[in-house]
Amino acid sequence: MAEQLTNLLVDLKNEKFLSQLKDRATKEDPVKILDECKRGMEIVGERFEKGEYFLAELMLSGQLFKEASAILEPYLLESGAQEYRGTIVLATLKGDIHDLGKDIFATLARAHGFEVHDLGVDVPASTVVDKVKEVQPNILGYSCLITTSFEPMKEATEEIEREGLREKLKLTVGGGATDEFTKKYLNADFQTTDAAEGINYCLKVVGGELNE
Amino acid sequence: MSRETMNVEERVWAAINLEKPDRLPVAPDCQPAGAAKLTGRTQSVVANDPEEALNAELEAFDKYGGWDMYHMAVPSTNINTLFLGMKVKLPGRELLDNEPYQVVEEEVVKLEDYNNIIEGGWQNFFMNDLLYRIAHESDNIPELINKIQEIVQKAFQEWAKRDTYVPCWAGDLHPFFKLSLTRSMIKFTEDLYYRPEIVEKALDRMVQETIKTVIDKVRATGSKIAWLCEERAGGFFYPLPIFEKYWWKYTVQIVDALWSEGIISLWHLDTSWDKNFHYFKKLPKGSVILHFDGTTDIFAAKKELGGHLCLMGDVHPSLLSLGKPEDVENYVKRLIDEVSYDGGLILSTGCNVPAAIKPDNFKALVDTGKNYEFSK
Repeated sequence: MAEQLTNLLVDLKNEKFLSQLKDRATKEDPVKILDECKRGMEIVGERFEKGEYFLAELMLSGQLFKEASAILEPYLLESGAQEYRGTIVLATLKGDIHDLGKDIFATLARAHGFEVHDLGVDVPASTVVDKVKEVQPNILGYSCLITTSFEPMKEATEEIEREGLREKLKLTVGGGATDEFTKKYLNADFQTTDAAEGINYCLKVVGGELNE
Repeated sequence: MSRETMNVEERVWAAINLEKPDRLPVAPDCQPAGAAKLTGRTQSVVANDPEEALNAELEAFDKYGGWDMYHMAVPSTNINTLFLGMKVKLPGRELLDNEPYQVVEEEVVKLEDYNNIIEGGWQNFFMNDLLYRIAHESDNIPELINKIQEIVQKAFQEWAKRDTYVPCWAGDLHPFFKLSLTRSMIKFTEDLYYRPEIVEKALDRMVQETIKTVIDKVRATGSKIAWLCEERAGGFFYPLPIFEKYWWKYTVQIVDALWSEGIISLWHLDTSWDKNFHYFKKLPKGSVILHFDGTTDIFAAKKELGGHLCLMGDVHPSLLSLGKPEDVENYVKRLIDEVSYDGGLILSTGCNVPAAIKPDNFKALVDTGKNYEFSK
């Protein structure tokens, strides 16, 4: 049964997946059900890495995971706090209102066990700094689709450095307008246009694989 | 030192025809957002005033010594962006004065609209229904349409005064791209996977309209090249069976129909198409130009498609906004040495000239493109 739910997610059998999930949510341990969904997302990620799955499958499985999380949420609240692998603060900075890539990344990160603080789009640098101070994330992620948000990202980063917070986190930047020049300009630790590659990086950060 | 022996038109056609021009043709995609930065205007001015948008483009062209081809001759402003079928946020209205206009990813076309598209066609649905869903309350649509016609006329006259080749006054978005933009990417992807029959019926209808519209526009304007745009169908997004069935099949129909009329199609292809190169090899030799945005590996594209199709691109917006002039110069030199050595390349920006471009980087792009081969 457990494998079936995982497989339904991996195979994008949306109707059967949601129907089985709703049925089981009323009867079984919601943490266990959520773990099965997370396992499904891991398999989707593995297939993506092998080139068997594409962004489309990441998006669709991410949507199913999002729906599953919403269905399970009341049961999870009843059963107590969840454990997270790590914390991510995500934002698309001032001047940029694109949210598609950021949302896909946020969903995947949640599916991989991260606590995600998604600050949304058109976010002022000060909001990013305040949130970093508050939650002290392992990873700060900027999403960027237009070049005019390079400066607000730089401003936020410099403020984080001034506050002495930069050494405590890994800074990542992703999105179609970014490349190696963006990474260098922001003094970021990682850059990608590939959401799954970004998740792998985050897993390495919290897994201690990047410690020097 | 060698000198120019071709005029702008001969140079561009040599590249399209996969012959070696006297030098690389240069054609940055200088739309109003980038032209504003290059000429000291705000984004608000160029996004809200089509006349100023055109003035910015003309001034940028004159200020930087001109270049060989201006393939998007009608400036993209608040008016034209409506034709993306998406709601638009404008500087000076929803955004700050110097933030470029941006579209809103939102499901403005609903699932039930597919039937209207299949029965009445996209154009009818767009003009009589969708346009009114996406227009801002302050937009006067008949007035905006008149304004487009005025600005096209003015652009026609102004570009004719300059030494540049302007071959492309007709264009459209790929039907797949239209549906993805207007349904929103996630909803459209759900449609492709969970209810593909209705998507296919809509695309069958829409592609015929695209072909007819583009050919009619080409004939009316005397264009020789038609501009087509797709940013969401390549291997970055979709597996090849989806790509083949819902994009490639229709692309072949469009290219063949245009080619049989003697029209080259210039495809503006954003995001990575690295996994799709081999399909383009099946198109008639010299029938299309592929404009990449800096995320596709243009050097790999050259290896696979060189000698078969003309490539265009691809100086990345991040490099143009954050790099130094020597970084841009080095990249353009690499393009010339590794992609354009035997022709088949038109030098351009990856996508449009970015709104945050450094003017010195733009100069480096244009100057290196025009002079490097002669300096060797």
